[in-house]
Amino acid sequence: MDILQLIQSNLLTPIILFFLFGIIAARIKSDLKIPEAISEFLPIYLLAAIGLHGGIEMRNTGFENMLIPMLVAIGLSLLFTLNHYQILRRLGKFNIFDSYALASTYGAVGAVTFSVGLSFLKNQGVTSEGYLAAILAVLEPVAFIMAIFLTNMAVSKQIRAKKQSFTNDEPSEIDVGLKETKTKLSQVLHESITGKAIVILLGCIVIGYIIGEEGFGSIRIVFDEMFTGAIVIFMIEMGIIAGQRLGDIKRVGIFLTAFAIIMPTFNGIVGVLVATAMGLSLGGAVMFGLLLASASFIAAPAVLRHAIPQANPSLYITSALGITFPYNIIVLLPIMFTVSTIVHGEESIDLFNYITGGLI
Amino acid sequence: MKLYDVKLLTITCEILAQKNIIEILKKHDITGYTSFEVGGNGSRGLRGHGLETEKNVKVEVIMHEEKLSGVIEEISRTMFADFAIVLYVSDVGVVRTEKF
Repeated sequence: MDILQLIQSNLLTPIILFFLFGIIAARIKSDLKIPEAISEFLPIYLLAAIGLHGGIEMRNTGFENMLIPMLVAIGLSLLFTLNHYQILRRLGKFNIFDSYALASTYGAVGAVTFSVGLSFLKNQGVTSEGYLAAILAVLEPVAFIMAIFLTNMAVSKQIRAKKQSFTNDEPSEIDVGLKETKTKLSQVLHESITGKAIVILLGCIVIGYIIGEEGFGSIRIVFDEMFTGAIVIFMIEMGIIAGQRLGDIKRVGIFLTAFAIIMPTFNGIVGVLVATAMGLSLGGAVMFGLLLASASFIAAPAVLRHAIPQANPSLYITSALGITFPYNIIVLLPIMFTVSTIVHGEESIDLFNYITGGLI
Repeated sequence: MKLYDVKLLTITCEILAQKNIIEILKKHDITGYTSFEVGGNGSRGLRGHGLETEKNVKVEVIMHEEKLSGVIEEISRTMFADFAIVLYVSDVGVVRTEKF
């Protein structure tokens, strides 16, 4: 009952209402549109605000206790990506390229989802650990790098198998093919690390760490008080784009639709439990869960279109943006909040022993 | 005025394919091109609206005929299967042929 009430009250927050409004505007084929420059600016602004907050809080709390959550997050993200791949490939019967592309889309993180999560917590009057912003930055490329690496491995294995069957084939062509896949990976690595999302996020974490609470005072009005307002404007745009894609959901198929709802739920709840076991706060555990539950839809097409061009982009964009994103911010966020409240309320001290005890 | 015959290769493709096109051009020693953002409808649906990464671009390249078939061959071999892309060639006249 509690969860339903929370979902209900979450539905009536400005963020969700504006998102739904955007969907309706797109469905009635209105020409309403956020000017391009603004919709390109807002993700940068949101990441800057997230980074500054993270940096300031890391200055207050120190970042020695951030290492374990970060490593655990990377480990879980990789594990989940592999898990997604097996499910998509074996149960969903997707081809190898679509499977890896989708697996990494769901293994990666969504910065917009993260912003909505922060705003949701603010609404509930709960704070979260600042270093989660740093985890957001580190997690962004991890799943993609692994998926691209594994795809290239699979492709070169195929090429090698072909090479054996045609031994009199010109070897030069195959060698070129092998070399190309290798250089692709280093290119992608370089591009994703120097990509605007990671650069602005890390840059702002550093700046936030340097300026601290006092320095932040002069820019608080822009980066703190306007934060939720900016998300609301961005939500109109997200709603419009999601609304335009609603028609495509039929093409995504039942399997992927179910995957786009069940996987984030599973990943998110595992994330909340693991974070609680590591001693993160109530809000921190929700954000940690959200990091693992969210799917990437802004970074994913840019990275994957280049690295795995064979994968069908409308599959991973539509499922991440049209299904998982609305589900995450409307339904899953309250669910994770409730789960986190329960595990923090009852035996927050014993939980770690309980889980490790269960493992041993 | 004397005009020299050269070829204009026009490629309309998704914006994320632009980089591949330019790399292929570079491989054939072509560094000059003009690109602009466009929208439209095609076999992969209405394009040019929504996400930033889903726009289309039009790339125009002027080159001598002897380079043309190599460039087109490589673009069709490496990109036609995976990307939203249309290309066509037209005859154009230029004044300064040494530029291309």
